[in-house]
Amino acid sequence: MKKELLAGISVAATVLLGLAAAWHLQERLDVQRKAIHEERDEMLVQSPKLIKALSLEYAPLLGAVYWTRAVQYYGEKHHERDMKLQLLWPLLDAATTLDPKLLVAYRFGSTFLSDAPPRGAGRPDLAVKLLERGLKEYPDEWHLYQDLGNVYYFDAKDYPKAAAAFAEGSKNPHAMIWMKVMAAKIAADGETPETSYALWMEVLNSTKDPDIKKNAELHLRLLKTDLDIREIDRLANEYEKKTGHRATRMSELVQAGLLRGQPLDSAGYPYVLGEGGKAELNLNSPLLEEKLLNKK
Amino acid sequence: MKNVLTVATNTFREAVRDRVLYNLVFFALLMMGAAILVGQISIGIEASVIVSLGLTAISVVGLFIAIFIGVGLVSKEMDKRTLYALLAKPVKRWEFLLGKFFGLVMTLTVNTAAMAAGLYLALWTVKHSFEKSDVYILAAVYLILLKLALIVGLALLFSCFTTPFLAILFSAGIYVAGVFAQNLRTMTVVDLNASTMKMLRGISYLLPNFENFNVMGTVAHGGVVPGALILNATLYALVYCAVVLTGAAAIFSRRNLK
Repeated sequence: MKKELLAGISVAATVLLGLAAAWHLQERLDVQRKAIHEERDEMLVQSPKLIKALSLEYAPLLGAVYWTRAVQYYGEKHHERDMKLQLLWPLLDAATTLDPKLLVAYRFGSTFLSDAPPRGAGRPDLAVKLLERGLKEYPDEWHLYQDLGNVYYFDAKDYPKAAAAFAEGSKNPHAMIWMKVMAAKIAADGETPETSYALWMEVLNSTKDPDIKKNAELHLRLLKTDLDIREIDRLANEYEKKTGHRATRMSELVQAGLLRGQPLDSAGYPYVLGEGGKAELNLNSPLLEEKLLNKK
Repeated sequence: MKNVLTVATNTFREAVRDRVLYNLVFFALLMMGAAILVGQISIGIEASVIVSLGLTAISVVGLFIAIFIGVGLVSKEMDKRTLYALLAKPVKRWEFLLGKFFGLVMTLTVNTAAMAAGLYLALWTVKHSFEKSDVYILAAVYLILLKLALIVGLALLFSCFTTPFLAILFSAGIYVAGVFAQNLRTMTVVDLNASTMKMLRGISYLLPNFENFNVMGTVAHGGVVPGALILNATLYALVYCAVVLTGAAAIFSRRNLK
């Protein structure tokens, strides 16, 4: 009995020790592998049709797997601030070929593809292709027209096509009334900060995804900054007309009664008057970096 | 009919004794893992991936049981020589075969029903509510069961005239071919002449078309499965099973068991 117990303990100890050693070795191997890490973005089978054939009747599940892989890939690249994203389109192409009903892949995928780097792949052409594929599957899904309009408006800067997309989507009896308004506004004025603000506000209100919400909020804050700067410049022009000289400090506008106090951006930093008396973001404001990245 | 029922009941008991239903533990773990993980690693597909994964697991696990156990239904009885004792009683060979078929279908029904319950439980965990369209998951599960019954029939047919290994290969081969049956009809090949195309078209109708039973994609996205489709798929499975089992009974009746 004692012998058996001893044997049992020694087996358990050996197994535990072995596992601990494997764990330790794996950690060392991870470090060594990281040192020789090479960028290896690859998709073994690039043909979505072949993947579909190989998946037999289980294509919908594989479609979900490819979509998850696309999300993970995007997230990983976003985290590393590497926005080459060459694999994003093949992954989305495979996901939507395997499961053409994957609405979420058309909607979010087009955002990932169209957004300018560093937030996206900067490929509005592929985003349009993806959304047009989605519209073939879901002709009655007006949100896809909203997304298509947004891609044309924000990223492709093709305002007639953006207006046409919003107009087409607005024909759906379930579409929100603002779709028609956007179609008319964009057709008449092209890009304006007010229209952009309204569009991002709709994106913010229509999504539950925290990443998309965060992105929309950031765009809204930057647009609010544009609108604020435009308003401060207007007041500075008014001040110049009244006094005959351009204000060089914000306090001058406050003293003249044109501003109630030092205006702050949405991050809580005061706007400043820069060269030529033009309103600018404070150098310490985190929005400045975002604005520069956005412009790039 | 009583003989058929007796053989079927015993086949079911044997499957339970052989721990066939242990796969349910694997299924439960898979669904629990998926329910926890999926929301954290993907966007917007929590419910649909649970449905896709659940239905795929039901189908794949069922497929393995249908082929591997189905092929062994006859050969195992022959190897263990229990068949001879059984056929010495007033049990006709076709009754034995039919009983075996229904016994395994019964096992698959219990297995599939338990998995469907697990799938609904996982779905509830993810969504905290059910929608009207979720009822169609049951339709998808039912169609999978029909497919599995057809595969059991095919496995039985092959096991009546060949070795278990070849019967497994043939059953799996027919399954894969049956998944592509639709494609044979619709594919456009430039080099093939009209008569070959006609022949391919003919083969596509003769092969069991397993796509008839596949509504996984529709159901995963909250789509509706029309009642007429369910009815026609049921009739198709019944007719095809009858044909396959008649063939199997004819072969088995003529088989020299000495």
